Amino acid sequence: MTILRTVNLVKIYSGGAVPVPAVRGVDLTVEEGEFVVIMGPSGSGKSTLVHMLGGLDNRTSGEIWLGGKRVDTLSESAWAVLRRKHVGFVFQFFNLVANMTVADNVELPALLAGVAPKDAKARREHLLGALNLTERADAAPAQLSGGEQQRVALARALANQPTLLLADEPTGNLDSRNTRDVLRLLSEVHKDGQTIVMVTHDARVASLADRCVSLLDGEIVDDGRISRRRSGGGSGAGEVIELR
Amino acid sequence: MSAVRAGNRWIRADLLARRGQATLTVLAIAGIVAALIAAVTLLEDGTNPWRSLFAQTDGAHVWIYTRDSPPVVRLRELDGVTQAAGPYRSASVTVVQEGKKEPAALRAMPATPPQVAHPVVAEGRWLDPARPDGVVVERSFARALRLTLGAPLTITALSGARHTLYVRGIADSAEQGFFPEWTPGLGWVLPETLDRIEPALGRSEWVTGLRLADPESTQVVSQRVVVMLEDQLQRVYTWRQVRAAMELDNRLLGTLLALFGVVGLVAAVLALANAAGGRVLGQLRDLATLKSMGFTRGQVAGLLVVEHGALGLVGIALGTVAGWSTTVAVLGSTSVAPMPVLTIVAGTALVVLAAVGLPAWRGGRTPPIPAAPSAPPRGHLSRLARLALLVRLPPALVLGTRDAFTRRVPAFLTAFGLAVPMMMITIGLGVWSTLDNFKKNPDQVGQYAALHVRPGKLESAAAAHIAKIDPGVQAVYPGTEVNALAPGEARSVRVRAIGTSTEPYPFPVVEGRMFTQPGEAVAGQGLLDLLGAKIGDRVRLTVGGTPLIVRIVGRAVEPDLDGEVLSVGLDSLAAKDSVPPAFYALALRDGVDPADVRTRLLASSGEGLDVQRVVNPADRLAILRVVIVALIFLLSLIGLANLLTASALGLRDHAFDLAVLKAMGLTPRQVMATLVTGTGLLVVLGILAGTAVGSSVVVFLIDLQGHNSGVGAGIGRAPATATLVTSVLVAVGASLAVALIPARRAARAQVPVTAR
Repeated sequence: MTILRTVNLVKIYSGGAVPVPAVRGVDLTVEEGEFVVIMGPSGSGKSTLVHMLGGLDNRTSGEIWLGGKRVDTLSESAWAVLRRKHVGFVFQFFNLVANMTVADNVELPALLAGVAPKDAKARREHLLGALNLTERADAAPAQLSGGEQQRVALARALANQPTLLLADEPTGNLDSRNTRDVLRLLSEVHKDGQTIVMVTHDARVASLADRCVSLLDGEIVDDGRISRRRSGGGSGAGEVIELR
Repeated sequence: MSAVRAGNRWIRADLLARRGQATLTVLAIAGIVAALIAAVTLLEDGTNPWRSLFAQTDGAHVWIYTRDSPPVVRLRELDGVTQAAGPYRSASVTVVQEGKKEPAALRAMPATPPQVAHPVVAEGRWLDPARPDGVVVERSFARALRLTLGAPLTITALSGARHTLYVRGIADSAEQGFFPEWTPGLGWVLPETLDRIEPALGRSEWVTGLRLADPESTQVVSQRVVVMLEDQLQRVYTWRQVRAAMELDNRLLGTLLALFGVVGLVAAVLALANAAGGRVLGQLRDLATLKSMGFTRGQVAGLLVVEHGALGLVGIALGTVAGWSTTVAVLGSTSVAPMPVLTIVAGTALVVLAAVGLPAWRGGRTPPIPAAPSAPPRGHLSRLARLALLVRLPPALVLGTRDAFTRRVPAFLTAFGLAVPMMMITIGLGVWSTLDNFKKNPDQVGQYAALHVRPGKLESAAAAHIAKIDPGVQAVYPGTEVNALAPGEARSVRVRAIGTSTEPYPFPVVEGRMFTQPGEAVAGQGLLDLLGAKIGDRVRLTVGGTPLIVRIVGRAVEPDLDGEVLSVGLDSLAAKDSVPPAFYALALRDGVDPADVRTRLLASSGEGLDVQRVVNPADRLAILRVVIVALIFLLSLIGLANLLTASALGLRDHAFDLAVLKAMGLTPRQVMATLVTGTGLLVVLGILAGTAVGSSVVVFLIDLQGHNSGVGAGIGRAPATATLVTSVLVAVGASLAVALIPARRAARAQVPVTAR
């Protein structure tokens, strides 16, 4: 079943003197349970694309379909409501709410989605347990290492078992050990059937995915299953180095 | 519902993270609301006992004193008059109690109290024909004489005959003000008792009270009474005069509190808006994260309104409880008027919500992409900074100066937020120095004489002699005070005669000139307003039937009786009123303690003299000083709250520049200096502006209040320059110290070079 589909998605930033096209006609389809990696050099429009997929940014033209429903026409508020249950976000800089404890950060989306506080607590305990963070539940985000923070952010994104998990360079700010931990977690939730779209420019990271989409200057230049291991022209697009 | 739960979690966490600032905000608003409630209670007549006394006694609105029994039927037929009390015969007597003599009026009243203007017995019982030696004494008079039930009361009639009466009751009345502000004191006896004490009808007067359908028609009715009774009429008092006499200095206190409260509210709300705005700016990333999680724009805005508004509302609730319970504790439970208090609470709540609404709305419009840079501070080198560069100031200062103005609106809010409390503090200091001036220069408020000596048991001439030979006494001015009828106004005013035209008592004339010959007078602002007269006008009053025609040649500062006092030389009064003088006003030599002179005079006269110290208005207003101290503290809190906001905002703006600054080669000390300069400059600007505005309006404001209260303009004093400089230095120093702590911590901290 198709979870996500975009049709000729375009984003043009027109704030400055010259309109800057960031995404130029992207057609992307993501099936249920797929782990898609979006790669590309800086400024290729990866982040803009994933922000649009989660409704954080408006599209200029084109269509976005999420779970069989057209969503690009939704208002900002409707997008917010949709995100509560269907879209989880992981950002490069973790973005934990600084004033709240780890536990509160993870419970917040569940509470927002209308889960009873008791259930939210149970789910938080389960998630933190699975991510090996149980003893840090009452810590403030600032007391955590980067890897720990990103694990908490992952727990928060997964709190409502979203239809789609969007990750924007989740390992971009981590050392290799923490990168490995976070990636292992991602592949575990993927094994449990979680659909994931992840932006990265790290080829090693991309090796985990089922499929790698390469963006260059806002256009898809390559889209292929990792298992096929297409031998590219050495330009880097689709080039994968085994992580393990 | 779900958003409420999630929002609660967030609000709780955020408030916990900034406990100090939140507490400050709550305290500042609570203090302001308490001050407003106290002000409205004092301004609302609730504290004036007149209203309840008038209602309890079914009081009369107009009191007429006549030589003979007036034609009551005709008085009652006047338009607007519903009922009449009396006429009661009244005789002047002197009460001799513990060696002191006090003037009193004995009023004949039947054993069954009348329907209108019946005294309400507070202790004991009313007059009883079975005990003709009984007297019921008005409560304030009884308290002044320390009379208790059953106590004997020795009185001397005008004939010189002594009588002893026994206090049967102590009663409240709304027909005259409290003793000793209002003399003579009042006692009620049965008509036959009065006939025994003062058999001569010619030495008594008749008192009639008129109750009106509409209190507002008092003026019209009393005019008609004046026309009807003409020469018969001795004096007229209206309910307004009685009410004004009973009212103490609460109005002044109330006005001060209201001024501070209203401006303080503006400052507090500004501080709240500032804090909310700064907080929102500092939290844009968290807000974006919330939105990426699924909070809608409205929910984020609502969250912020609830969080910041809740601080305000908690403050309002605390302030209401504090203000209410304080006024109840100090002034009694009937003093608080619920409606104005509710208005204050509702009004403050609205203002608070409006103040946090704008930042909240702005917070709600945060784009949901947390990585998006949150409005980076833009800006070019300000002119001031260029100037600083030009004169080769240290780079830290230049950078700080530039920082101070990069965010124009917050910069303005910071400076303004400190200027308003500072202005009010300056005004408070001005009130303080005005009080100090009263105290230091009592002659400027008409108290050149520190002691008033009444002859008491002695002859008038002997009393003057004893006073004159005392080494501490510089000058002795004979004086007397009479009530005069202002026929045009149909009410009585006080005429005070001290000194003579050739040797005048130094009344504090602030406009026009001092009187120099008989027939000239100076008046208080209240009297000028009452008569609608200007300096140079001729006014005609009657003192006990004798006309007194004087020309007002000047205006004097007049702290007594709402300024409704005419001051003349003793030689302007008719001999029957001025000889012998009722008292002597003693001006003392510099540095002489009035208490010593008083003791000496009492000793040398064998306790025969009645020597009273003049009460300085500053002593009556001593409570103002407590209020000023409390208000200054409160305003400092508000200033501090603003400062913390500014300092937090400055730090936030520069958290990511710090690494760059250090990389460029600034030492931690220079980094710290940059940060402190950024906020410090605005602080200094705000404080200087506030002080300048405050000191330029304070004299005007005090004089305005003086004018309105009848005392008259010319009393206001700006704080001394030394005081101003000290207060500015203290404020700036304290502010810099407060700004220094976070700056120091930031400068020392290892700043990670990460994106925001």
